[in-house]
Amino acid sequence: MKNNNWKTIGTVLGETNINSYLFMLQSFKAKKNDMVTTQTSIPDGNGKIIKVNVWGKIANINCSNEWFPRQAAQEMAFQNINIEDTPLPTSRDELICKVNILGYTKQDDKSPKLLPMVYPVKPANAVNYPNSNDVEKLLISDLNSKHPIHIGTLMARDNVEIKIDADSLVSRHVLVTGMSGSGKTVMVRRIISELMRLHFPMLVYDIHGDYLGFVKKQNIFPKNKIKLFYPSLSVKAEDKEIIYTLINKLGKPLTEPQNDYLNTLLNKVKFDESSIIKFLNSLISFSKGLLDTKNSKSKGSNTMPHIKPATMFVVNRSLNQVVKKLVNMENTNARHRQRMSKFYDFEKLPDANTEPEKIISKGQLSILYLRGYETLPASAIVSILSETLFKHRQEVEQQIPPFLSILEEGHTLIPSRSENKDNLPTVDTFRKFASEGRKFSCGIMIISQRPSRLDETIASQCNSHFSFRKKNQKDQRFVRETSEHYDAEDVNQLPSLANGQGIIGGQVVNFPLAVQVKFDDNLLNDEIGDEDFITAVENWDDKESVKLRKKFAKDFSKISKSAQKRLN
Amino acid sequence: MKSDKSKNNLLLKYMDFSINSSQNQSEYMNVMVNVCSTMLNLLKHENLIIDLNYNPSEFWPKAKNKTVAFVDGGLARNNLFNSSPLAIRAGSYVVNKKLKEEAFDTNLKFVLNLFDKQNELFDFIEDESFESLMLTKKKDAARIITEAGQLVNHILTKRKIDLLFLHGPIQAVLTPFVQEGFPPFTNLAIQSIIPSYKKKNMSVDDRHFINVYHECIKLIKNAPYPIYGVLETAISSAYTRNLLYAFKTKGVISQKDYDETIKVIKEYRITDNNIFEVILKKNQALKPLEIQKQFYGSKIIQKSRWDEKIIEYPNVFVGFIKVNDFQSPIRIESYNYPKNLINDFSYILAVSKLLPSYSYPVGLHVVDRFVKIPQWMKKASKNYWSTHALKSVMNNQKLGPNSLVLKYISNKNRTWANRPKNSGGRIEK
Repeated sequence: MKNNNWKTIGTVLGETNINSYLFMLQSFKAKKNDMVTTQTSIPDGNGKIIKVNVWGKIANINCSNEWFPRQAAQEMAFQNINIEDTPLPTSRDELICKVNILGYTKQDDKSPKLLPMVYPVKPANAVNYPNSNDVEKLLISDLNSKHPIHIGTLMARDNVEIKIDADSLVSRHVLVTGMSGSGKTVMVRRIISELMRLHFPMLVYDIHGDYLGFVKKQNIFPKNKIKLFYPSLSVKAEDKEIIYTLINKLGKPLTEPQNDYLNTLLNKVKFDESSIIKFLNSLISFSKGLLDTKNSKSKGSNTMPHIKPATMFVVNRSLNQVVKKLVNMENTNARHRQRMSKFYDFEKLPDANTEPEKIISKGQLSILYLRGYETLPASAIVSILSETLFKHRQEVEQQIPPFLSILEEGHTLIPSRSENKDNLPTVDTFRKFASEGRKFSCGIMIISQRPSRLDETIASQCNSHFSFRKKNQKDQRFVRETSEHYDAEDVNQLPSLANGQGIIGGQVVNFPLAVQVKFDDNLLNDEIGDEDFITAVENWDDKESVKLRKKFAKDFSKISKSAQKRLN
Repeated sequence: MKSDKSKNNLLLKYMDFSINSSQNQSEYMNVMVNVCSTMLNLLKHENLIIDLNYNPSEFWPKAKNKTVAFVDGGLARNNLFNSSPLAIRAGSYVVNKKLKEEAFDTNLKFVLNLFDKQNELFDFIEDESFESLMLTKKKDAARIITEAGQLVNHILTKRKIDLLFLHGPIQAVLTPFVQEGFPPFTNLAIQSIIPSYKKKNMSVDDRHFINVYHECIKLIKNAPYPIYGVLETAISSAYTRNLLYAFKTKGVISQKDYDETIKVIKEYRITDNNIFEVILKKNQALKPLEIQKQFYGSKIIQKSRWDEKIIEYPNVFVGFIKVNDFQSPIRIESYNYPKNLINDFSYILAVSKLLPSYSYPVGLHVVDRFVKIPQWMKKASKNYWSTHALKSVMNNQKLGPNSLVLKYISNKNRTWANRPKNSGGRIEK
């Protein structure tokens, strides 16, 4: 790669090392996160001295005006003086940039690849500003990806397109973090769009309905199938633990004998691969039968002699409570679906045991709509479905192709141990995905706005991180500690990133890149983007019944007032 | 009762003296109060105190269209054998914020070729703490002439300037340079400093500091814009003495009162700064007074063959501005009485207020930093010359170990004196 047409923008300062150097920048010639090069000589493997281009990223820029004393600032502040009116110099600012070295390329290399730096940059060298074509060429050439996917542009240069390696993305697990509104969903939508272009199957666990837009925009993806499911899970004997946890958490806390009884019920009632609610109702009926038998027989009956009727009664009541809650949640979900039925066709989730191909198939994006479900049932649903699909991938005759699971609200469904919610079934499930998923081509993408509350094991297994704006100190610390891909400067800029700006690090890129994610406005979901409460109120019109109620309320208030007067 | 031993105790003596000396201090204060109140009356009588308006938010937007130049010199000197200044330069900072111009120039630079080596005095000093008088004089002459040269440079290039400020006096006291044997400048240096000066057949005297500086001053005095020298401190009492002299000449004060007051000022070493620090309030200034800088009261202090020339030096107008309550007033010098006294002094006040603690024109602070010869350059040249000197001695078979060179290359000359340190003889643990 020749550097004939690269402009000189600065000079390397006196002390350099293998990893970084400082340089004096000409005003306004580059910015933070920009790519710069400097030509230097290094010894090659044969003892020859070769000239190379050393590539680096501007990690930080410090500006100082040594001729602007503090006391002058004090006077200006107190007296409301504009520096542009005074003789104080403003044109001699010193701009010192810290450059983190990314590697070097050989000068005549047509498909340049970054090699690790082995010798420090020479002080006093000129620092060049490579043109955007060359930067893009280097990034794509160095990525060396079979399936590069377009994510956005380099934050410092909006004419340099950034691509990431799709193979690493779907196989090595990804963590997308950032505070609400920072650009996580925009990024995930971008990735989904690109993977759909590659016909890669995906399953999105959509807690808030952020991805429903895809369904409506099916026409943008004519070669893909986009399916929208609502939960309906059949339970099997293997799911016994999950059901047990669900009952324990959703119902009343059970004593040890009550738990024993519940276990007995779970062992005796046959898992008929029906829905959870149906199965729970079977448990209740069975238990009721036992209780009736016990009550109808005389003392000394040998039907579960060690269990008291009161214990059975409490367990029954608890099971009823669980069923009631689940039905409520199902109804809430149904109401949400009903509200959006004019826009979307919701399908009942097919049985993953018998028809997994209806959920995971080539070119299909499946969205499981979980709105309305509380954490535990949602976790149970996600866990049961994921385990079933994973099992299919483990089988010798794989029934479904490799796929990517996308999990929203990661900190809720796979919380850290410190959250004391480790009984959530999704934690174990996703730990298995994280550690063994690569073997069976099951990738995961975890999305969270509170990464410090995520399960550490799963987070550490995510080999690529997409970090968006974070103000929370704990979350910043988490990123610093769990991601070996980032430089300190990358983490330091997290609080000040704008919407859609993020740092990508890990195996999907060769070195951390600050990017502006491409915003797919054609995938916006108008029906869901209803956070504009004020407009909603402005457009609000009471229903007829409410109007009538308000109208007659005045008459009724007169009656009650006259009645009160008489009483007084 | 104190023992004889305690009488000899140094600490007790010191404390005793401190307590008793308060009488001396109060006496000094009495004298100061009397001198200051008398001076205040005289200044008021002559209407010499002016109040300057300081309203920066209104002043600066109007002043931004002025082109203002600030000039200063920077000097680097190592203890070379010939002891002349190694490098000197004068720089300017010319600014016009309305035109968005900020120009930093160093038009005058010299490296070793300032003084004529044929007439050089080789006065290498072994100990920096005892600098030879001649070395100090040469350093001062180098600084003064390059700064004056920079002013001349601005005048000759006919750059449009509204106000020019020099860091330091507009005219230096010449007595140090009239000593016999003071080296003249080289032809090259003079051509750089004042290109209009006679170019052919310059004698040694023509190249002497007194003549060259005088030529510069003639041009500076006739500059098309006001040029002011600004000093942080005034260690002399020239203003006070000249004022008293003027009153004596007018017959307002008697010869006896004049003589006694001058005696008191000398005896108590009272300077203009001491007096005006007390008299002036914040934002007040003293109108400039014409002063014969080289001779007080037409009395030649030191006779030399340069006296006739020195008499040709123009008088200087000296004024003071008190920028704030906790700093001494700054001294303002010019060759001509300011045509726009209030405007110019208001500018100086405002530009000094931009450094409220230092109370000195910020532009001069900027140019001072700009022309300073950096430490790394001084070190590099020192190292280069050390190596050169050592090689010269080593290559000469006839010379044995040379303590002079070793002294020169040692970090500090005094380390070569081998004076035992306090810790000497201590047992290492």
